[in-house]
Amino acid sequence: MDTTRRTHRALAALTGTACLALLATACTGTNSGGGQDGSAAGQDVTITFWHGWSQDNEVKAIADNVAAFEKLHPNIHVKVVGNIADDKSEQALRAGGDEAPDVVSSFTTDNVGKFCSAGVWADLKPMLQKDGIDPAKTFPAAMLQYSQFQGNQCSLPLLGDAYGLYYNKTAFAAAGITAPPKTFGEFEADAVKLTQADGDGYKQLGFMPNYHGYESTPSHFLGQYGPGYFAADGTSDIATDPKVAAMYTWQKGLVDKLGGFDKLEKYRTGFGDEFSAKNPFTTGQVAMSIDGEWRTASLAEDKPEFEWATAPFPVPDDQAASYGRGYQTGTIVGIARTSKKQTASWELVKYLTTDTDAVVSFANAIHNVPSTFAALDSPKLDADANFRTFIDIAKNPHSNTTPASINGGAYQVSMQNLGYEFESGRQSDLKAGLAATAKEIDAAVQQAK
Amino acid sequence: MALADTPVPAALRTKRRRETARTLAFLSPWLIGFGVFFAYPLVSTVYFSFMKYDGFTAPTFNGLKNWDYVLNHYPSFWTGLGNTLWLVLVMVTLRVAFGLGIGLLITKVRSGVGFFRTAFYLPYLAPPVAATMAFAFLLNPGTGPVNHLLGELGLPQPGWFTDPSWSKPALTMLAMWGVGDLMVIFMAALLDVPKEQYEAAELDGAGPWQRFRYVTFPNISPIVMFAVVTGVIQTMQYYTQAIVAGKVASGVIGGSGQQFEPGYPHGSTWTLPQMVYNLGFQRFDTGSACVVAVILFAISMAFTSLLLRRKSGFINED
Amino acid sequence: MTLTSAVRLPVRASSAAAKVARRRAALHWVAVHSLAIAAALFFLLPFVFVLLTSVMSDRQALTADLWPTEWHWGNYAKVWQTPGFLSWWRNTLLYAGAGTLLTVVSSVPVAYALAKFRFRGRNLALMAVIAMMMLPPQVTVIPMYLFWAKQLHLTGSLWPLIIPMAFGDAFSIFLLRQFLLTIPKEYLEAARIDGCGDLRTLLRVVLPMAKPAIAAVALFQFFYCWNDYFGPQIYSSENAGAWTLSYGLESFKGAHHTNWNLTMAATLLVTAPVLVLFFFAQKAFIEGVTLTGVKG
Repeated sequence: MDTTRRTHRALAALTGTACLALLATACTGTNSGGGQDGSAAGQDVTITFWHGWSQDNEVKAIADNVAAFEKLHPNIHVKVVGNIADDKSEQALRAGGDEAPDVVSSFTTDNVGKFCSAGVWADLKPMLQKDGIDPAKTFPAAMLQYSQFQGNQCSLPLLGDAYGLYYNKTAFAAAGITAPPKTFGEFEADAVKLTQADGDGYKQLGFMPNYHGYESTPSHFLGQYGPGYFAADGTSDIATDPKVAAMYTWQKGLVDKLGGFDKLEKYRTGFGDEFSAKNPFTTGQVAMSIDGEWRTASLAEDKPEFEWATAPFPVPDDQAASYGRGYQTGTIVGIARTSKKQTASWELVKYLTTDTDAVVSFANAIHNVPSTFAALDSPKLDADANFRTFIDIAKNPHSNTTPASINGGAYQVSMQNLGYEFESGRQSDLKAGLAATAKEIDAAVQQAK
Repeated sequence: MALADTPVPAALRTKRRRETARTLAFLSPWLIGFGVFFAYPLVSTVYFSFMKYDGFTAPTFNGLKNWDYVLNHYPSFWTGLGNTLWLVLVMVTLRVAFGLGIGLLITKVRSGVGFFRTAFYLPYLAPPVAATMAFAFLLNPGTGPVNHLLGELGLPQPGWFTDPSWSKPALTMLAMWGVGDLMVIFMAALLDVPKEQYEAAELDGAGPWQRFRYVTFPNISPIVMFAVVTGVIQTMQYYTQAIVAGKVASGVIGGSGQQFEPGYPHGSTWTLPQMVYNLGFQRFDTGSACVVAVILFAISMAFTSLLLRRKSGFINED
Repeated sequence: MTLTSAVRLPVRASSAAAKVARRRAALHWVAVHSLAIAAALFFLLPFVFVLLTSVMSDRQALTADLWPTEWHWGNYAKVWQTPGFLSWWRNTLLYAGAGTLLTVVSSVPVAYALAKFRFRGRNLALMAVIAMMMLPPQVTVIPMYLFWAKQLHLTGSLWPLIIPMAFGDAFSIFLLRQFLLTIPKEYLEAARIDGCGDLRTLLRVVLPMAKPAIAAVALFQFFYCWNDYFGPQIYSSENAGAWTLSYGLESFKGAHHTNWNLTMAATLLVTAPVLVLFFFAQKAFIEGVTLTGVKG
């Protein structure tokens, strides 16, 4: 009968599958990469480029950028896939299937350590050398630092992000505040002045300090203190670095001053999506916020009902001289080590990261900080004052980033968790909390080695 | 020659061989499935739990290091195990009790049975991701209708999915909302209880509680047992609702210096299966992920063996 | 039960006692139905709130309002036009459709053998089926992922989700076996006497009798695939072209920067087909659920 024959055929096909499966453990070897393609000789090559941008203006900007590249290199075709999260691109790269991308970008420099040390992304140094590009003369030092891990330049900066203060000028005027705060002391006073209660909620909140308040994270606040996170021997130094304890204490004080954790948390759950016109700053629910430079573009587009401006985020009172600094990070782009089209991929990466016009026009389009010296000084760069704030933060020598770690951002998750415990009062002994968190970070790094 | 001398056994043997071939043919899809999708990955999981492997560079032997890391240094392991056991204890108990209650209720309803049965059953069909997102919205402390109504009534308004002491109760409520499957099973079982037994009990002057205690319950106890054990097994795999509730309620998108906190809020929705995903597919620490998988397997099989005990009535003979 | 006995009592009782009994029956009726209405509200109100929110304006969806001031049915069109939404539908239908078909085709013979053939190791095989049924998918996911990714290079597609269904699904096998046990031996013997082979007996005699069980298994499998989140997250999510509804829906709120109104509209759009299917196949479904709990 038909069914029997089908069963037999399936049986034959599937016994093969079964045998393969049983062999699987034995042959999960290293993926060797380094494939060259014929694009240099003018052959047609199609490469895949994955990125994480998803807002309409961003997707359009990257498409324009790629179109300009394809015009310059008519034989290289780029298949662009957007809105890909880091976990997913990493999973795909490690799997190394046919659908895996050739060129990948990531929003979080946190993962550079993981990408480089595991060899998921290819080291770009040989390619930079071949084309005579001196990275130190091309990219700002901080950006170059966060795109490499222990000497392996497995990614290059593709625009940068800097974090500063956004403030509601209309609300400032109404509260009688004339200038943005420069120190945490002034900031706290202003935040209290700007807070208007409404029953057991708020009509307007000065600032949302809770760690789930979108960009109000420990790492971003710590950018104003400038800690090193890791000691020279690679172990976590957060338990001994007084700056870290100072940040946790400062944030907790602010939470208590503004109404306490529970009340703030309830208000927070009424916020709209962070990356939408319903962002609490845009809607006027909060009068000040810590945010990246990209918000200048969305605010210009969403046109809130009030006047707003930007400034560097305030600094601790005892570090007043360092005013102008901020947390700094950026998007990075790299090449899959398993890609068989590395020549063409490098052309695209080189164009995206080092071509001054490309970097400037992309920076202008999505309002990110340019990532090369030439582009930072380019006259074509958008001169809008609110945006300039962030370019200056990016150039500030005190600006700080979260260093790459072999296990990515795991240490930041640990620090965030301590933050949640401390702000909500579940952990009242900060010293013990920091010591336990440092131990947890060290164990995780050890496990990843 | 021997064959020719004894024709009867030979025919028998042929018949038996044919029968074996037939049985194997009928079982073949599953036999392969058992090997490829059960036996092989189980052995392999145990193997990888002793290996250091990042899914990229070739695996190397790691001794007991992964086990030591997971049990002694991975801080969320005990939290996750605790949460999973909490859910097994509380969620399963309440869901079974509620399912039985709703089943009893529907057998007593005289008007509009069809409407009520459909109404009680419908939520069970809502896809878990959709149902969880809907609950995250309904229970949103700031803007959700539930707290709005509680406020109108002058009742306390918990933080639900944003409050570590309320997030598991909120998940339990979500599970109770989707109790339709148990309701149907209990309803069928309750209708099967012989009427004469009730009548006899009534003649003996038994009240409603006594009738339930001495007539209803003994009759449906195998079904209750079934519901409990399958509930436990399902809860051991509890993943989708917990991860979606945490992600949606936290509002965190994730980026540099802003990492998603698994098990939001404060690890209170963090379960063993999420740990396998986090370690295996986000940290790419295959070895540690397999350690958690082996532990999850051991616990699940302990519960399964309960089910396989003959008196549970789960396996019946023909 | 109480009601029927209350009605039967009056035959010999005095009229006063009958009145008391009638009043008690009426009270009982009211109590039961009030409880039922309360329960129905608990089960149905979430659907109502979700529907109401799904047609609110962006701004109103962020307030605690229950009733929309304006009805924005266009929200549904907006969701429908989300990039990728259509391909999520196509993928989900493909996964659920092919998965269901393969499961039924591969599980029926196994269940039949386990229910009706006598062979050594049958109990062992049954235990193995139950063990597979009880196994959390996360236990085996790491080697399975490596198998699909490194050996077959099929991750980022729906194949790792669909292909395993061709090898029998433990839950379906178990359910079908439970049902097939109830088919009397005499039917099978009669078929054998008529000269039917095993396969023909299965196709001609057993299948028609097992229709309700097969329908139930098919429905369960369809719902399982439709609802599956873990599988697509592991095996297909790395390729946006292979996302399913469950996975896409979860990413919907974060990735497309939408508000509650659109999210709730999407939620309803994903739930609707399941509800529609339920109304068409209600009987088979309820029978199926009952079957899972039946102890033969």
